[in-house]
Amino acid sequence: MPRNLWLERILWILAAPLLALALTVLVALPSGAPPLETLRILVLGGLGSMTKFGQVLTVFVPLMLCSAGLLIPFTARLWNIGIEGQVVLGAIFCTGTLMPVDQGGPWHIALALAAGMLGGALWALLAGVLKTWGRVHEIFSGLGLNFVAMGLTIWLIFGPWKRPGVASMSGTAPFDPSLWLDRMGRLASSWTALALACAGLALVAWLLLRTQWGLGLKAVGQNPKAARLFDLSPRRRMLQAFALCGALGGLAGAVQVLGVYHRLLPSISSGYGYTALLVGMMASFRILPVPFICFFFAVLNVGSIQLPLQLNLDSSLSGVIQGLMVLSVFITQGLRSWLIRRREGC
Amino acid sequence: MIVLNEISKRYGRVRANDSIGLTLEPGRIYALVGENGAGKSTLMRILAGHTVPDSGTITVHGQSHSRLTPALAASLGVGMLYQDPLDFPALQVWENFRLGGTSRTRAQVVDKLGELSNHLGVCFLPDEPIASMTVGERQLLELLRLLDLGATTLILDEPTTGITPEQKRNLFGLLTRLAREENHTVVLVTHKLSEALEMADAIFVMRQGRLTARLSTPCGEDELVRLMFGEAVERAGEIPAVASPGNRRLGLEAATFAGPKYHLGPLNLSAAPGEMIGLAGLDGSGQELFLRGLCGLDRLAEGSLLLDGRTFASNDFKTLHKAGVHFVPADRMSQALFPDLSIREHILLAFPGQAGRLEDFRREQCEERFNLRAHPDTPAKSLSGGNQQRLLLSLIPENAPLLLMEHPTRGLDAGSARQVWEHLRERCRTGATLFFFSPDLDEVMEHSHRVLVFYDRMLVADVPRAQATVETLGALMAGKNPEAWNAA
Repeated sequence: MPRNLWLERILWILAAPLLALALTVLVALPSGAPPLETLRILVLGGLGSMTKFGQVLTVFVPLMLCSAGLLIPFTARLWNIGIEGQVVLGAIFCTGTLMPVDQGGPWHIALALAAGMLGGALWALLAGVLKTWGRVHEIFSGLGLNFVAMGLTIWLIFGPWKRPGVASMSGTAPFDPSLWLDRMGRLASSWTALALACAGLALVAWLLLRTQWGLGLKAVGQNPKAARLFDLSPRRRMLQAFALCGALGGLAGAVQVLGVYHRLLPSISSGYGYTALLVGMMASFRILPVPFICFFFAVLNVGSIQLPLQLNLDSSLSGVIQGLMVLSVFITQGLRSWLIRRREGC
Repeated sequence: MIVLNEISKRYGRVRANDSIGLTLEPGRIYALVGENGAGKSTLMRILAGHTVPDSGTITVHGQSHSRLTPALAASLGVGMLYQDPLDFPALQVWENFRLGGTSRTRAQVVDKLGELSNHLGVCFLPDEPIASMTVGERQLLELLRLLDLGATTLILDEPTTGITPEQKRNLFGLLTRLAREENHTVVLVTHKLSEALEMADAIFVMRQGRLTARLSTPCGEDELVRLMFGEAVERAGEIPAVASPGNRRLGLEAATFAGPKYHLGPLNLSAAPGEMIGLAGLDGSGQELFLRGLCGLDRLAEGSLLLDGRTFASNDFKTLHKAGVHFVPADRMSQALFPDLSIREHILLAFPGQAGRLEDFRREQCEERFNLRAHPDTPAKSLSGGNQQRLLLSLIPENAPLLLMEHPTRGLDAGSARQVWEHLRERCRTGATLFFFSPDLDEVMEHSHRVLVFYDRMLVADVPRAQATVETLGALMAGKNPEAWNAA
């Protein structure tokens, strides 16, 4: 590729963050926030110290598991918006597995992680079956199931799994420390969780790029009618995609339970499923940018905690910035393809 | 009078139109002929305002324009009738008729429609939904709508595809009247030379983006063919004889296929190895369901299906696919190929067992057998129609016993079409049985040992090659005297 084409490409890639920056300033100004100071606090709030970096990693792990999972159904052009509920179900299954146990070891933890994956996969299959056999669009069923999953958590916390004596929004009784995931020294994150997230992404990349199954899934996404003629069993493949994505989402939920909160909370998923959808959109569902965007979003998430403390701003600004980033990517991509079309004159 | 002057249009490196100049006079009928991809449609789209030319002028009534918009073209009296009528199947006749015009009440629209229909000798029920009408009727309605909008120059793109010979006669009669009595200009875009010779006062021939000739009729068909293709296209020879007509490759016994909208059957039928069987019928007459049922895409509700001595009580797609039944739909891009996947990936999907020697296998399949010379990483959507069909044919295993093809030459130029037929004949010579449908009766007659005619969702006749003429088949397709034939 000639040099000026490379240059053009790089400029286009830079255009998106610059646009996002400009939009963020526009949004921040009316609320009286100094834009550059806000950004500095966001970044330093996430990367300013090792403790904060550890927190970033605890956000990064579930986000990456969900984002990696979402790449699979998206290859078949399926929008698994139900990932949020699948995270929750993963947490529920994981908690349920450890409920009868007072103390345990690595085997219990492994079993609980597996149970979390199973829970997410089953919940995803529900949306999948509704899609393939019931002709219910996965966005509607997924969204509906998310609410059901939320309701289920709250019922469990206030009902069968309530703490002895008090039932409260603070969740179920914490597990014994022998059932917690390991820690990276004094950091909040865990090596096991990080390894699982990386393995999840590697598995997805291998499945989608290197296997016949991945190719078949891509084909199903491109043209389900033709996939039928090629005898690719589109329905079965779609269900498998849902199940795999759900399993990764469930794993994220289990990691939340075992590694972060050590119990089941009403908001155990922290909205990572929805954030992962943003990551996927921003990456245009390509694999390579996913870990970087996940990391960046994790920094924003953790950094935003400092906003109310230091600037008296609401922490939801980080969500605004994430949304603006995604919009900026869409705008620049749209602009670029529009210019290309115009240049070619059709 | 419309004068096109030095019109050019490029798409990337392709010159679709290369400084074309032509004059259209009122009261005359023109034919624009040329192979697929010769640039006919581009030129007509420029005239109708749907495509912006790179250079050149369009002069209408003495006023010169560098480009037209659809609205401007309509106000200048240019109306285009597309091959697939651009109407709205969910709406009723009168609603469709009103579209694009000034806002009028239902009564006004119905009056106007009645007046025009009466004048032109056609008949429409204002409340009939478009979805229940034939392509021919929809075309006429579209034509009436254009006339109502004030069109004086009518462009018809392949108007006779998918309509009966009788509807074609009506349409041509109507067009002749419009030109002779009302002084309209008619442009017929077609690849059927017989129609051009029959209808037109003058024939424009396009080839590779250029206007190569303007002929006044009458002129010789041979000359036209030479101008269109550069050399005379040799007709494919006589079709190969069926080696063992007594053998039974496929049998249907009281079989009923159930589609999403209707049933077809009970059918009783048998076909021998090597037989080429053409299906004739208007759109929606049942031939689509017949092919889809045979390959298992639509359900076999009753009866049984025999293939090479095996009896199938149900037509499971997977089982039949394994047994070598292959279906190629007419709409290749939307039903049979994956737009963004490459040639190589298509091969890998169709022959997973060859993954180890994919590149060699692809070369054998695509390049040596089919002369598909595109780069293996080319996505299917960038392939020409001919190459798409070559790719699809190369995805069918060599020894597949039963081929089901829906309009195998749709959208192909004469050269590619001939290659496709040579290939299909070769397959039949080596024992495959072919069922194919084509809306072009000439094609059906040329390549069939026998013709199955469908009418009104029934198989009405099984006509042997010797008796298959345009008159016979046309009458059967329109539902006339099927009793004379041994229907299944």
